[in-house]
Amino acid sequence: MGKLGFIAALCAVALLLAAPALASNVAMQPAPAGEPARTCLDCHHLPNLESNEGIVANQALCLECHGQAACTREVKGQKVPLQVDLKSFGTSRHRWVACLSCHDDVARSPHKSVRGAQCLSCHPGHGEYPLGDPHSSVACSACHNKSPFVTLDKKSGQVKLARFNSDKQPIGLTDHGPMDLDDDQLCLRCHTAGNQAGAPNAVLPGKGVICFLCHSASFSIGSWWFGLALLVFLVGLVAGGLFYMKGSVAGQSGSLHEKIAAGGENLWRATFSRRLWETLKVLWFDVLWQRRLLKESVQRWFMHSLIYLALLAKLGLGLFTWLIYEWWPASDLALALLNKNNGFVAVANDLLGLLILIGVLLAVLQRWVVKPDHVVAEWQDNIALILLGLMLLSGFVAEAARIIISQVPADMAVYSFVAYPLSRLMAGMNIDWPGVYAWLWYIHGLSAALFVAYLPFGKMRHMFTAPLSLIINRKLQ
Amino acid sequence: MSAPSLQRFSVLSRVLHIVVALGFFGLGLTGFTLYFGGTWWAQAIAWCLGGAPGLAWLHRACAIMTYAAVMIHLAWLAYYKLALKGRLTSKDGMLPRAQDVKDLVRHMGWMLGKGELPQFRRFTYWEKMDYWAVVIGINTMGLTGLVLWFPEWFSGFMPGYFINLALIIHLVEAVIAVAIKFVIHLVVAHLRPQVWPADQGIFHGRMSHERIKTEHPGHWQALQEGEGEGS
Repeated sequence: MGKLGFIAALCAVALLLAAPALASNVAMQPAPAGEPARTCLDCHHLPNLESNEGIVANQALCLECHGQAACTREVKGQKVPLQVDLKSFGTSRHRWVACLSCHDDVARSPHKSVRGAQCLSCHPGHGEYPLGDPHSSVACSACHNKSPFVTLDKKSGQVKLARFNSDKQPIGLTDHGPMDLDDDQLCLRCHTAGNQAGAPNAVLPGKGVICFLCHSASFSIGSWWFGLALLVFLVGLVAGGLFYMKGSVAGQSGSLHEKIAAGGENLWRATFSRRLWETLKVLWFDVLWQRRLLKESVQRWFMHSLIYLALLAKLGLGLFTWLIYEWWPASDLALALLNKNNGFVAVANDLLGLLILIGVLLAVLQRWVVKPDHVVAEWQDNIALILLGLMLLSGFVAEAARIIISQVPADMAVYSFVAYPLSRLMAGMNIDWPGVYAWLWYIHGLSAALFVAYLPFGKMRHMFTAPLSLIINRKLQ
Repeated sequence: MSAPSLQRFSVLSRVLHIVVALGFFGLGLTGFTLYFGGTWWAQAIAWCLGGAPGLAWLHRACAIMTYAAVMIHLAWLAYYKLALKGRLTSKDGMLPRAQDVKDLVRHMGWMLGKGELPQFRRFTYWEKMDYWAVVIGINTMGLTGLVLWFPEWFSGFMPGYFINLALIIHLVEAVIAVAIKFVIHLVVAHLRPQVWPADQGIFHGRMSHERIKTEHPGHWQALQEGEGEGS
């Protein structure tokens, strides 16, 4: 017997003990005519919810009332149906699940559900795929239920099924049939102009694997232009690698596979020998902490580290989040890391983004304003800096717009210490942010895609070649 | 390596050997723990590795790793044959030959004190058996494993009892594979008195001339006559 069964058993026992003392709002009904009289245990017992017999018995007990059209509830003077349509329930995936397995707080007096159906006790939540983070504050039923009316609950900040339809009439939410998730209209429940759910006006693509550069993402392509950027990036890497192999490798200048074999042999020997420590030392001091640059100029090291270390930290945080989600998708840690409004995540993202932005600004000042003799502003640098700057700025503005649109409560949003003040400023402007959000998102996404595609070609290539030559040069010494 | 030696295993083969060895160890550990889940030792291991879900995840991760290594090896063979125009059927290759059966019989005779030690070429018959056990075994394990991994999909066109059958074959083959690898291969290849505590050749990739002369005399002779294959 699982946890659910145990809880249900407790509820049933409590109900059994409390029944005589409490005036239940579920009337104890007499047996239908022609059937033997009821005993207490006909209702007050716990079937084994992990057997088909128990499931059917539990469903039959609930449906004795909830199967009838007369089963209603009164809301603001109007009758709301509580009848479960057996036909649509019979075709749902949950046909062989007991009512109590999901509605685990109803077997009690008074007979009332506070928590609603507990989807997450069986299903893990979505990670970054197919839906991104903002949906972590959307209730499962808001998309998976057939009712098209959704609303933003201001108290919890959660997007939920609405209790009233667009004509302010109370609606029954008892349709257990499955929602067709391939239906394009599904997303338009929220993502339309003037929506009540705090969603942007457009359906935007999910994050792709290239977004790992700064965000937690999934190992999926994402939209086609993310895929294109990834392809250009990979082709660039392979082309760079092939160009690298044009020279002689470890004294080998024969065919490509001989060079790879010779290089591999060298790598193998370096790995399984004391020279490994040499290599690790280079990786730690010269690659991670940029010792050589620090020796050359503290100012250049500072500027470079602002960009490079903060980007590395964002990459690390994104991969860590992905790993935690893959291992423990239902854990509190995974849910916290996936939530952009979480205090730690918000502070980390804003802080690291700010550091990168300051680094980019310093580099721009150095190249375009101060112009010392040793700094040459090459166009390759300029492209990288412009793309990076655009990515950061549009990222912050989009984040602020998201805070405005999804109406994140102030005590939660304040952790985004850059974007929240920005959002207060922006909220004062007379701009339709739900409509503009898509543009901000596309500027951010496109500049990121261009940046990633540009990595193996321009000046940014040094992030692959510099560590490699540092290690190889060290070994040649 | 100071003593004169010859390349026996390429870097790729050495890397793949380590990957397959680790993957196979992980598969055996998690697989038997899952199958004998009721026993105290299995429960202790399961507790360390994140329970049944953790074990299942690790088992599949190891399976993908091991199978990928074998596939990379086969891809290399295809590249070697098609692009580099190499020979796979030489006397120094991995394909079984009639000579291997004769070697086996003579070797048994030698162990019983009759006749001479066979003139082994580059790979002896038991080394070939170790190799083919993996190449063939990984496919039966992989196929039955896939059936157990995606039973809903396979039962779409197979009778339901094929799932049970797959489980039995997967188990029996696992016992055979573990017996071959951890008892026969480990002892014969690595724990023989001549190479104790391990045959380092599979790690540094080389075999000294001295060892080739004594353990693979046929190969040494072929090399002297200029027809044997080095690496």
